[in-house]
Amino acid sequence: MKHSLLASAAAAALLVAPAAKADDTAPPNRTIGYVVSGLYWAVYQTADGKAECPDGLNDGPREHFKALFPDNGTKRPVVDTQLKREAEGYFPTMTEEPFTFHLSQSKIAKGLNLDGKADDNDFVSPDGEKGIDNQLFRVLGCVRGYRAPDGDAYFFDNNTLITDRYDRWLFELTDVDSLVNDDDVTVTTYRGLDGLLKKADGNGMLAGGSQVIDVKWGGRYVAKIKGKIKDGVLTTEPTDVTFPWATFGVPTDREMRGMRMQVKVLPTGGTGLIAGYTDLENWYRQTLRSSSTHHQAYGQVSLPSVYRALRRAADGHPDPKTGENTTLSSALDVTLTQVHIIHPDRPVAQADEATKTAEAVKERAGARR
Amino acid sequence: MKKSFMLTAAAMAAVLLAGAAHAQDRSRAPRDAKSLIGAERAKDVPMPPGFKIMPSEIDGPVFADANGMTLYKWQLKALRNGSAGERKNEPACYDVKTTETAGLMSPYPPGLVLPELDTRPACTDVWKPVYAAANSKAIDKWTVLTRKDGTKQWAYDGFALYTSVLDRAPGEVAAAPKKARGDAPSYREAVKPPSDIPPGFEVTSTTRGRLLSTTSQQSVYFFDGDTATKTGCTGDCTQTWKPILAPSVGQTTEGWTIFERSPGVRQWAFRGKPLYINVLDREGRSQEGSDTPGWHNVYLQMSPPPPKAFTVQVTSSGEVLADAAGKTIYTYACADDSVDQLNCDHPSETQAYRFGMCGAGDPDRCLATFPYVLAGKDDQSLSQTWTVEWIDPKTGKFAEVNAPGALKVWAYRQRPVYTYAGDKRPGDINADGFGEFRGLRNGYKALWLRDDFYNGAGD
Repeated sequence: MKHSLLASAAAAALLVAPAAKADDTAPPNRTIGYVVSGLYWAVYQTADGKAECPDGLNDGPREHFKALFPDNGTKRPVVDTQLKREAEGYFPTMTEEPFTFHLSQSKIAKGLNLDGKADDNDFVSPDGEKGIDNQLFRVLGCVRGYRAPDGDAYFFDNNTLITDRYDRWLFELTDVDSLVNDDDVTVTTYRGLDGLLKKADGNGMLAGGSQVIDVKWGGRYVAKIKGKIKDGVLTTEPTDVTFPWATFGVPTDREMRGMRMQVKVLPTGGTGLIAGYTDLENWYRQTLRSSSTHHQAYGQVSLPSVYRALRRAADGHPDPKTGENTTLSSALDVTLTQVHIIHPDRPVAQADEATKTAEAVKERAGARR
Repeated sequence: MKKSFMLTAAAMAAVLLAGAAHAQDRSRAPRDAKSLIGAERAKDVPMPPGFKIMPSEIDGPVFADANGMTLYKWQLKALRNGSAGERKNEPACYDVKTTETAGLMSPYPPGLVLPELDTRPACTDVWKPVYAAANSKAIDKWTVLTRKDGTKQWAYDGFALYTSVLDRAPGEVAAAPKKARGDAPSYREAVKPPSDIPPGFEVTSTTRGRLLSTTSQQSVYFFDGDTATKTGCTGDCTQTWKPILAPSVGQTTEGWTIFERSPGVRQWAFRGKPLYINVLDREGRSQEGSDTPGWHNVYLQMSPPPPKAFTVQVTSSGEVLADAAGKTIYTYACADDSVDQLNCDHPSETQAYRFGMCGAGDPDRCLATFPYVLAGKDDQSLSQTWTVEWIDPKTGKFAEVNAPGALKVWAYRQRPVYTYAGDKRPGDINADGFGEFRGLRNGYKALWLRDDFYNGAGD
C-alpha cells in the first residue's frame, strides 16, 4: 500500500514536472543512432612527409628479407629464411636487429590529452592544444602502410570496415535533449548486423539506413558510457571497450582502455576522434593475424620491427611485475553515419560476456599494475 | 555404362548415427537434432568400367577407382605470383622431385631450398596417376590423356585423375581437407558426381554437413510445423519464409517431392518436408534462419559427430568446436611453395613448416603453444573423420601405439587437432588465422561450426 502511494506520488510529480527540456535539435524520442563508416589510425602528415619523417619512411618485409639474404647466388633453405622471418612475427623479441626503425619526429599529432598532463613526450594538436597523447602515431607515423591516401593498412582496414558486417560498430545516443548542448547523454555501443548504404557516386555513406543490433554474438561489444554535447561536439567519459575491426576475413577485435570520443555530431552523422590506450599485444596480434606478410610488404610494415617500437613507445598501464608499459596512447579518425538502430525483441546475449571482457581487460591491467 | 549410387548399409548406418548425434553443446540443445536424417545421393552418370561412386563422410558422393579409393584432380589456381595446378588435358604431376620454392606467394623470392630433400617425395609418389589401358574408351566426361612419357591417364571433364597415398580406406577424402579459398594453396580436390537434386539447388560441404542451398546460395530450410501434405506456414509466415516453388515441369526423384500448398502452387519438398528460404538471411549459405524456433537448415547428410567430450562455444563470429574445457579446437593446414604444391600438414609429411610456425622451429615450444588435444585411455576412432592417432611430439610424425613419449591424440581427417595457449576463456579464437596468409597456407584455423560473417564453416 505504502509502495503504491509512493508510486502514485511519483507519477503525479512527473505529470506536473516541467515539459521536457528538449530543443528543436533534439532527435526523435531523444535518441539517435550512428554507425562507424570510416575509421583510420590517426596519423598526422605534412605534404612531403619531411617534417615528421626526416629520415624517410621505414623499409618493409621485402626490403628486410633482401638485406638479410642478398641475392648473390647462395642457396638458402626455406626453413632458415622465409619460415624464420615468419616465425619472428609470431614470436617477436626485443633483441637488436640490423635495421633502423624511424619513429615519427613530428611535434604535431592528432589525438586527445588522455592523462591530463602536458609533458615532453606529448604532442601538440593541429589546433595548438598541448598535451596530446598519441604514442601509436609515433610508431606508425613513418610506416608507409598507415599513411594516407594509399597505405595498404590505411586503405584496407577502412575498406573492410565498410564492406564487412563483422566490423559494424554502433553508437546509440539516448537522453538527448539537444544535439548542440546537452550536459548529460548516454552513449551505448553495440555491434550491428547490416550493410551500409553507399551513396550513388560511391563516396561516403547515406544516412537513414537501419542496423539491427547483434544480440547473438555481439555481447562483448556492449558498453554504456556517459557523455555530454557542447557546441555540437560529443565527448564521453573514459571507458574500456572492445570493438570489432577485422581485416581480410579473420574475426578479430581491438581493445582500447579508457576510450573516449570527441566527435562533432549532426543529425546525419559525425566526424572526430576516438582516443584511448590501445592494448599493445592485442594491437600487434590482431594486425599480424588479419593481414599477411604479403600485404605488409605492400605497405612496408615490418611487424617484428614495429613490435620493438611499440614496446619502446608504450606509455600506459605498466605491468606491476616488470613495470613495462602495456598500452599505447592512440587516436582514431572516425566518421559516423546516422542509422536507425533496431532493438530485437530479445536482449543481447552474452551481456555478461561483455562484462567479462571488460573485467578481463581490467584484470590484465590489474595484474600489470 | 550407367551406374547408380546407393549407400552401403554400413555407410548408411554411419550417416544415420551422424545425423542423430551432433556436437555436444552443454549450454543448449543441439540445433541440428531435427535435421532430415539421410544420405546424399548422386545422379546416375555414365562411367567407364572400373570406376564407381562412393559415399564419403563429409564431401558426399565422390568418384572412386575399382577399389573404392577417391579420385582427385588438381585444377589450375591463380596464386600471387603465378599459377599452379593443371590445365585441362595437361597433366603436370610427374616423377620429378622438386628441390626449390617457386616464389608463387610474395614477398619471398623463388629458389629457396625445400626442407628434408632426402625424403621429399616426387609428385607422383603421393598423387598416383589413374592410368588407363591402351584400349580405354572415352565416355561422357571421362576421357583418356597421354602423359609426357606416353602412358595413358584417365581424366574427368578434362582434368587428369589421381588417387592419394593418404587415403586409408574406400570413401576416404583425407587428401583434400582444406579450404581452397583466397590465398590458400592450389589444393587437389575430390572429383564428385553431380548430386541428385533438382535444378535450382546446390549442395556444399560444411563442418556440420552437406548444406542445401539454392543456386543463388540462399540456405534452404524446413519447418517443424509442416508435414508432407499440410503446411503450418501460411499468411504472414510466408513473408519471412518464402516457399521454394517447383516449376510445372519439375520432376520428382528419390527423396524429392512436390507439395501443392494451394491449387496450382507447387512447392519443393525434401524427405517429406516442404522447403523455404529465409528472406532475412544476411549471407549466403547462412544458418541464421535456424535461430527461429521450429526452423532448420536442410543438410543432405550430416558429418560424423566429434568426440563426446567436445563442446560448442560461442565466439564473436559464430560457433566453434572446443575441447571439454571449452578451448577452441584448431586445425593446421599447409602446402609448400613448390610448383607441386605438396601438402605439409599431415603426420606422414614434413613437419618443418608447422614447427617453424608454431614454435620457431622448436618442437617443445610448439607443444606449449599449440598443445595436441589428447584422447582418453579408452577412446577409439569414431569414423574416418574423427580418429585417434599416436604422435611423437618431438617429430610430429605418427608413432607406434604406446611408444615411449608418444601422445594419443584426436585427429580430424587424419591430422591432429590443437588448442592454443593464448586462448584464455571459452569462445576465444586468438589463433584463428595464426600463420602465413592468415593461416590459409601454413597455419591454424578454428574449427568453425557456424560463422555468420565469413563462412568459416564452409568450403
